[in-house]
Amino acid sequence: MDIDREFLKGSVSLLLLNLLSRGAMYGYEIFQEASRRSAQAFEFKEGTLYPALHQLEKKGLIQSEWRTGENGRERKYYALTPKGRKSARDYEKQWVHLTGAVNAVLESE
Amino acid sequence: MQAAHRLIEEIVSSSRIPSARRRREVLRELQAHVEDAISGGVTERLAVANLGVPREIARHFAWVYRRERAVLRLSVFLLSTIAVAGSVAAIVMAMKAGVAVGFGVPLIRMFNPRHTMIEAVDILSTAAAYVGLLSLEKLFDRRGFPKAAALLALIFAVLAAAFAMAGRPWKFLLFGLVAGFFLRTIQVLLKSHAARIGVVLACFGAVGLISLRPLNVASWVVTGLGYLAMTHLAARVDRALLNRLQQL
Repeated sequence: MDIDREFLKGSVSLLLLNLLSRGAMYGYEIFQEASRRSAQAFEFKEGTLYPALHQLEKKGLIQSEWRTGENGRERKYYALTPKGRKSARDYEKQWVHLTGAVNAVLESE
Repeated sequence: MQAAHRLIEEIVSSSRIPSARRRREVLRELQAHVEDAISGGVTERLAVANLGVPREIARHFAWVYRRERAVLRLSVFLLSTIAVAGSVAAIVMAMKAGVAVGFGVPLIRMFNPRHTMIEAVDILSTAAAYVGLLSLEKLFDRRGFPKAAALLALIFAVLAAAFAMAGRPWKFLLFGLVAGFFLRTIQVLLKSHAARIGVVLACFGAVGLISLRPLNVASWVVTGLGYLAMTHLAARVDRALLNRLQQL
């Protein structure tokens, strides 16, 4: 099912912070993990992932470092900062609250 | 990887990320992404398509780095204004010293402190207006000059009002704005250097003629020549400073 871009926009930060709460990941890994967990529901363009990551890094919610993998390839890994960990929990609570309220309205019809 | 490389170059070059170091990092990061996709079994063509529309990705990056860009532009503006005003002041004062010697006027009279201070402030204000116009024009894709002129006039009007309300002199701002507009206008309208020199000499000379004193005419003419030098200097200084600061 196609998801409206406007819906997705507001939830990208939550998605990224949630994915990174399970450990440091690099860009392509984050994209693959998001696609896998959502059963390919999130079909956003891969290139737009990076500005979103940079935005989170500027806000101090995540930090990055270049690491060289076993195959000698360099990748930039992103990990949550303590502030990002707290934000991830806050966003999740807000999301649960919001979806609960939206569901309640939808189900009441 | 040529198609992917071209696409990534396009994204980074139009991203308007101010720092060269950051642009290189984005380049490396996107290249690593495409390499990961290809080594995962995706064709280069699909990897490129999956990345998205370059202009859209660049627009996202431009939005993320908008504050850094504004800080950089403001820093370049301030440094350029100081550098250009300092250089023009030195040129004008040197030529005026020559005029004073030529007319047999004592240097102390030509450079009396009050007059020299007023002139220095006028030069600073003109340099700020001219460099400000150059900087503001870069904000607009089309019809940059008239839009920048309108915006600059608004900024100077607000500054003049603030100075006036605080009981401070404000007329130097008006002088700077008019001189800055005039110099940029002739630079935009007249392509020939000779024509620009002719117009500047005629206009500044005409202002000097008001007093009907040859010394004043000569003084205004050399001031005009100094300002004309500013139009050549400002764009170069602005570009050099921007390039240098982007490397930091």
